Amino acid sequence: MPDLAELRRQIGELALQAVMADPDDGSGGATPPPWKPALERLYELAERERAGAIAAATAALMGIVGRNTSADEMQTGIIRLQEALDLEAAGRQPAPFAPAQDRELVSDFVLESREHLATIEAQVLTLERDPHDSEALNAVFRGFHTIKGLAGFLELWEVQRLAHEVETVLDCARNATLAITPAAVDVILESSDELRVWMAHVESGLNDSASAAPPLNEPLLARVRALAAEPAAAAATADLAQMAASVEAPDAVESPEAVDAVEAVEAPSIPAPEAAAAVRTEGSGGRRAAEAMAVRVDTAKLDSLVDMAGEMVIAQSLVRHDPELGSIKTPRFQRNMAQLARITAELQKTAMAMRLVPVGPVFRRMERLVRDLARQFGKQVEMETQGEEIELDRTIVEELADPLMHMIRNALDHGIESPSERERAGKNPVARLLLKGRHHAGQVVIEITDDGKGLDRERIAAKAVQKGLMASADSLSDAEVYNLIFHPGFSTAAQVTNVSGRGVGMDVVRRHVEKLRGRIEIRSTMGRGATFLIKVPLTLAIIDGLVVGVGRERYIAPLFSVREVLRPTAEMLWTVQQRSEMALIRGELVPVVRLYRKFQVPPLSEDPLRSVLLVAEVEGRKFCVLVDELIGKQEVVIKTLGETFKDVPGIAGGAILGDGRVGLILDMDRLFREGLDDARH
Amino acid sequence: MPPSMLATSETASAALADQRAGKYLTFQLANEEFGIRVLKVREIMGLQEITAVPQTPVHIKGVINLRGKVVPVVDLRLKFGIPAAEYSQRTCIIVTQVRAESGQVLMGIVVDGVSDVLTLNGSEIEDTPDFGQDTAGQYLLGMAKVKGKVKILLDIDKVLSAQDLRNLNSIIEK
Repeated sequence: MPDLAELRRQIGELALQAVMADPDDGSGGATPPPWKPALERLYELAERERAGAIAAATAALMGIVGRNTSADEMQTGIIRLQEALDLEAAGRQPAPFAPAQDRELVSDFVLESREHLATIEAQVLTLERDPHDSEALNAVFRGFHTIKGLAGFLELWEVQRLAHEVETVLDCARNATLAITPAAVDVILESSDELRVWMAHVESGLNDSASAAPPLNEPLLARVRALAAEPAAAAATADLAQMAASVEAPDAVESPEAVDAVEAVEAPSIPAPEAAAAVRTEGSGGRRAAEAMAVRVDTAKLDSLVDMAGEMVIAQSLVRHDPELGSIKTPRFQRNMAQLARITAELQKTAMAMRLVPVGPVFRRMERLVRDLARQFGKQVEMETQGEEIELDRTIVEELADPLMHMIRNALDHGIESPSERERAGKNPVARLLLKGRHHAGQVVIEITDDGKGLDRERIAAKAVQKGLMASADSLSDAEVYNLIFHPGFSTAAQVTNVSGRGVGMDVVRRHVEKLRGRIEIRSTMGRGATFLIKVPLTLAIIDGLVVGVGRERYIAPLFSVREVLRPTAEMLWTVQQRSEMALIRGELVPVVRLYRKFQVPPLSEDPLRSVLLVAEVEGRKFCVLVDELIGKQEVVIKTLGETFKDVPGIAGGAILGDGRVGLILDMDRLFREGLDDARH
Repeated sequence: MPPSMLATSETASAALADQRAGKYLTFQLANEEFGIRVLKVREIMGLQEITAVPQTPVHIKGVINLRGKVVPVVDLRLKFGIPAAEYSQRTCIIVTQVRAESGQVLMGIVVDGVSDVLTLNGSEIEDTPDFGQDTAGQYLLGMAKVKGKVKILLDIDKVLSAQDLRNLNSIIEK
């Protein structure tokens, strides 16, 4: 049981001070009220007495004091202190995690904190390459400050304590008593990782599957504190001088000598990093400004809006093609109909665009990854990102993170050489890595370019032969050889590291990207670097489809898997053992699936010469689908057929066609696998 | 049987009947009259073009476009093993909202014709006679006698539950 008498006395004194304080006197005036020393005394005492709740409440108060703090905020803080005291007096420790809290509040907290942590990470990296970027510093500070405040509100004391300590460090940096060194950045990033662990814990508590509370990382806490204390001690005497200096000549503080001096103070305790990564972003200032206003909307509402917009387009087209209205030829009517068509199209476009989010956040996660990996591998990398504003479907952005991570790991592990190797090759020891998003032909292309050693054709080919993937690679083009790295179980890393080289990398990447209906390409120049291009559609909700007919039925073949469409000639078609059919297309024998047979739909004609062949490609292999006729090309919104039809072979979903009917979307992948099986058996 | 127990079982069955009381939409299927709870009905529409889905059981007619939503349609005649009939002017699709594994889903049923909306009180509803395991007994809420005619009250959730349909699929495949 802590000795509460002294604590009670000190808190009482604080409360008195707060009442006496001039309400206008928190605006950073000439004489800040003596909150800080009093609070620090209280904090120490509370720590010593193991009164955790009081310590945390004090910490919260320390965080807000001295910066435009309103009297109200001060009062609230002190009320919290008193509550904590009462709690302590009742001999009752507050629960480490408060399950009684409003679930919605807690889940909002987790969501919001994660957003803050993402901002923090991005801004810390900005800060690392420019330690004097006060805007970034403030952003990081605000992030921790908000998390601390929210955590205090929800009585998540451990979260609050850590956030508070980091905030103190950042405050020192704001007061120019601490330089943002890579070591400091490390500690801040580690703290943000730690907070993420806590968020996961809090979230698991929401799902009634509470994980064990992670122990508060005391060593980290100690390091954070050390960071805050060190320059404070060193600068304690210099404090006044520095304040004077900053008044007289603000630039003096920012001079390299001053920074060096502070760094020199730190150097003995924390070894300077051997390698570092710098991240450069085009228009990083603009990015901050672009954090647009946003509203959270239930996706079901959004889907319904998209449905309705789609129906409106169909209704509009039905009205427009109504024969009776067609006889009206007045210019006014024509003009109004055209206007209606324009507006409906625009409405549909806007509704679809609402599902799109910028790729920026994923890019920023990669910046962090590059920094960490570069240090781990002892490589020097300067990263640049472009096209962060490019928008993609939310699911795609989320699903892209994994493949990107894999590829960046690969680039850093295999592509980029060590600084000494680079110097020997006559290159800048600092490698460049470019992550770029851009629009191309209705798709989004994400490029990962490094100026490392590039892909080694000979080594890949040798490996492929050794693994028995082929007898010889001599006849293959460069691109075909590069594509071998996507083969399952293929890895050329001489050494297995804990990040790559297990041979589970690139085939997983390709499968991931193909699941998003995308493709990967590689461009590489030996010794000069490599570019990986990921091409993905803007959204998974819409596809470009070829509408084809079989008998009276209409099907939609996804355009991305169709390579060509042709009318077969008699000499093209071959039957193998009277069962399976092949088509000879440009010297290549390609298996044929007759859709009417597969789906048991009466066709217009059984004569293939009067039908149409769709040549499709799945996982690099070609096959043909025989249909009656080609009706047209249409952009369709994909709809699920629901549970009833969740496992229909060969059908991927439904879509509303231009006439309002439902068309079925072909699942080329399964048609390929199962259609050919059927033909064989 | 002791009188007290008798009383309890009577109250239980009365409570059950009360639960079943309410408004029912009745419709015909061959020469029988069926009823489903009005609360389960979303809308009644004339027959429209149904897109067939290949390789599905015969009673699943396919899908329709209901204002932008793709809704599966089941032919109730075929589902109950009644011989198929030509669709006529009176044939219509009742769009129902049923409970599925993933929550509420819309599903259409093709019936010969819609008759009436009836308000049934508990005393008009009787428990289903035990037809044995193999019949459609499990789909039934009970039977209602109205003006000397019998209406079969369906538990549409059970009739259309995806689970059941899948079981049916496996039987059909055998």
